[in-house]
Amino acid sequence: MGQMADSGELIQGTLEMLILKALLRGPLHGYSVAEWIQQTSQQMLKVEEGALYPALHRMELRGLLESRWGTSDNNRRAKFYELTTEGHKKLDAEAQRWARLSSAVAFVMQAS
Amino acid sequence: MAQNLHEFLLRLKALFLKRRLESDMADELAFHQAMLQNKLVRQGLAQAEAEAQTRRTFGDPSRWHERLRELWQFRTLENLGRDVSFSVRVLRKSPGFTFVALLTLALGVGANTTVFSMINALLLRPLDVPDSNRLAVIGIDMGRPRINYSFPAPLFRGLENRREVFSQIFAYDHREFQVRGASGTEAVTGQLVSGDFFNALEMPPLLGRTLTAADDQKGGNPSGFGVVISEGFWQRWFNRAPNVIGQRLKIDNALFTVVGVMPKRFIGADPLQRPEIFAPLAVEPVLDGSRNMTDAGMHAWWLTVMGRMQPEVTLEQANAQVAASTKAVTHSLAANPEDLAQFERRLHHFTAENGSAGFTYLRMLFSKPLAAVFAMCGGILLLACMNLASLLMARGAARQPELATRLALGATRRRLVQQLMVESLLIALMGTAAGLAVSPLVSKSLSTMLLGGEGETHVDTSLDIRVFAFAALASIVAALLVGLIPALQATSGSLNERIKSGQHTTQAHERRRILPKAMMAGEVALALMLVVGAGLLASSLVRLYLSGSGFDPKGLDNISFSLDKQPLKGEAAVEFYRQLEDGLRRQPGVTGVSFAKIIPFTHRMWDEDLSAGAGKSQDTYHNRVGPDYFKTMRIPLLAGRDFAWSDTTATGLKMILNETAVKGLFPDGNPLGQFVREHDGNTTTQYQVVGVVGDAKYEDLRSPAPPTAYLPMSQDDGGMGPSYNAVVRTSGPAGPLADAARALAQGMEPEIPAPLLTSMNATVDESLSAERTMALLAVFFAACALIVTAVGLYGTLAYATSRRTNEIGIRMALGARRAQVVAMVFLQNAGVALAGTTLGLIAALLASRLLASFLYGTSARDPWVFAGSILALALIASAASLLPALRSARINPMSAIRCD
Repeated sequence: MGQMADSGELIQGTLEMLILKALLRGPLHGYSVAEWIQQTSQQMLKVEEGALYPALHRMELRGLLESRWGTSDNNRRAKFYELTTEGHKKLDAEAQRWARLSSAVAFVMQAS
Repeated sequence: MAQNLHEFLLRLKALFLKRRLESDMADELAFHQAMLQNKLVRQGLAQAEAEAQTRRTFGDPSRWHERLRELWQFRTLENLGRDVSFSVRVLRKSPGFTFVALLTLALGVGANTTVFSMINALLLRPLDVPDSNRLAVIGIDMGRPRINYSFPAPLFRGLENRREVFSQIFAYDHREFQVRGASGTEAVTGQLVSGDFFNALEMPPLLGRTLTAADDQKGGNPSGFGVVISEGFWQRWFNRAPNVIGQRLKIDNALFTVVGVMPKRFIGADPLQRPEIFAPLAVEPVLDGSRNMTDAGMHAWWLTVMGRMQPEVTLEQANAQVAASTKAVTHSLAANPEDLAQFERRLHHFTAENGSAGFTYLRMLFSKPLAAVFAMCGGILLLACMNLASLLMARGAARQPELATRLALGATRRRLVQQLMVESLLIALMGTAAGLAVSPLVSKSLSTMLLGGEGETHVDTSLDIRVFAFAALASIVAALLVGLIPALQATSGSLNERIKSGQHTTQAHERRRILPKAMMAGEVALALMLVVGAGLLASSLVRLYLSGSGFDPKGLDNISFSLDKQPLKGEAAVEFYRQLEDGLRRQPGVTGVSFAKIIPFTHRMWDEDLSAGAGKSQDTYHNRVGPDYFKTMRIPLLAGRDFAWSDTTATGLKMILNETAVKGLFPDGNPLGQFVREHDGNTTTQYQVVGVVGDAKYEDLRSPAPPTAYLPMSQDDGGMGPSYNAVVRTSGPAGPLADAARALAQGMEPEIPAPLLTSMNATVDESLSAERTMALLAVFFAACALIVTAVGLYGTLAYATSRRTNEIGIRMALGARRAQVVAMVFLQNAGVALAGTTLGLIAALLASRLLASFLYGTSARDPWVFAGSILALALIASAASLLPALRSARINPMSAIRCD
């Protein structure tokens, strides 16, 4: 599983949502996905390789992602992932779910 | 759905492009590692340092590959394939274990399927006719423990047309027809059937028409006697001639016209019969002449009666309706108030029960023995499974180093458990398959053994959907019971720990484990139950044989002559038998010849009410015998004289009584010269007692000798036909006797069918065929149980001991004597055996009562049988435990300690 910098665990299914979000801007290879999440979260979320690749492959199998081999910036052969229509739909659903969940958690935590 | 399909297609692609997938995966990971290294170098780390750190975060690449590969595989399928081939390799490496495992399972499943297929043939399989579930068997409750299923003709005719709940009510009886052909007379099995027989069974004929109520008339249908034949008979006798309808057949001296041919699958309503000729019931007097069953009225109980219920009528309604109609039927039959009173006293009410499987009287005889044998088989299967499970468990423990190695090499725990499961399932599947393969063969011989004494019966034990379902069920249960054990082992929660910690620390744990011991104790208990059961049945059988019959069956042969279709009557028949006797006496080795109407133990009986003086009338068994009968049978003549050929009707009717009859009829007085009255309806016949003989059993060996009266054959009134059986005592082999009898009889009367010769010993054996088969099977199963238990006890102890080699070595190094070591190992099993025996003893005491009805002169708690069984089990258990114990004593302490 992915890991938060302060070693809290990513909630189940959250990693997949983050991957889908990362790929929203266009095709990326696995390394860039991890980098993007880490940077965008301001180093708070560190995605472990041991979780990333099984997740990518699983999502590819389920038809959320498509993959093709291309060339990276530094001219190496790399596997690029991009969202499918299914993936887009899934991202929308997950984003909504997450918004509801986080606001609910926020309500609870703000209760006096 | 679409998603699943997508996944499936991708996996399928991966399956075919396996190498490509592997290299892609490697490339992807290598790319990531390279990027990571670059980043680290950019952040200022030395190249070597960066490489090391990447390796640290990434870990073992092979694990990675394994994880990703699993995602892309049809995991279960591919792993299964691998597990199966691995398990086959493992099993092949220990052929002894595999052989024992397969054998026990094959035995268990085979025996169960065999017995079930017999139960199926006899009790379960529905008749192959349309809507067989609408059929009902009609019986009579006569206030006895068992319902009576034989009807006299008038009672059936009174019932036949009562159609309140039934569409049809029909009756049939088996018989052998003598069919006259160009090449002589042939005996053909067939049935006499009432008018609605075919209508009720709703089976259309292959050719022509079936018999109807119009055929079931005393004179036949207007154009004569109709007869329906089977397809087999049509083939054999008419060579499938299409013009068979209208052909004439001479059956038992009467001419019949073939009106129809029934298809091969039609066997009537008795699942064990294969009738070839169906003749109308009303024709019986024509076939049987003066001594026929129809005219014997309420004296002859011979018809099986069944009915087809109207649609919408339930069995309960049918049962209530026939019971309610009893009174009306008896009223219509009774000619006078005395008859009516007698009918009402004897016939409580009619009953209707499910007849979808047809009716066979063997069902009543064999359903209980079969159930008992079935229970024994179930015990064996359970035992086999438990034995296998404990062996597997012991093996699992002994295989811990192997499992630890595989775990260390990266196998997941789940995969290990899965593979162990596959191993057990493989054994279970192969064992059950072997069992199923042999079961048809075994069931054939079993049915011959069990039903051997019952004449011509066809037990169709072929596989059908029920047998198949049962076999599948038995296999699944066996597989689950056996396969459960690795699962239990795995879910004990500490497999990981135990595998990691290796041999030494597990031993305390091992000894605490209760499951294997409980399993072995259960096995011992089950084995004890089976041995006790076998012991009880066997000792009952021995007692039956030892109980004696009252005569000496050894060296005695019966030759039965069938003169029923001959014109020989009265004096002429007596003369025929006198000459026959003279002829037989002259044969070499013959020391005694006589005749009897009824041979003991042949399921025939004849009884009459007798009284003497002012005493009450007494039901007495009868037989009609020739002179020298008692001498030939070696029944002692206690007082008076034997019959002689000179006892003719003119000299007054004579009678010889057995001891029991004398006790009942003449409680205080000498019977010799006294008169005995025989009552039959309104007629009374007087007989003078001329002799008293010892008691001899009549119907079977189980029942004590009934009061019996013997009448001389020279005073035969012909009432039971002219057929007699010769009883011949020889001092040599009986081989040539059959030919001699045949030659003699045909020399005198060429038309007589060839006489049948059976030895009295065989008759006694056949009368006990059910008992013998049960005892034989029980002993066989008990022996199997003992062997299986011994193997189990030996196997588990041997494994356990081999794992304690190290400990034993240390004990011996520290000064333990060999005898102590032997005792220590030996006593490990003693506890298990003791617990199992106690358990088994309690269970056997409770269960043996179920056998009580099969036992003769043996208590269901016979202390000798119980003691003997416990002794047998103790011996087997000791032997099985002593071997590993002795082997452990030969351990060399030095090498034992060093080896680890």
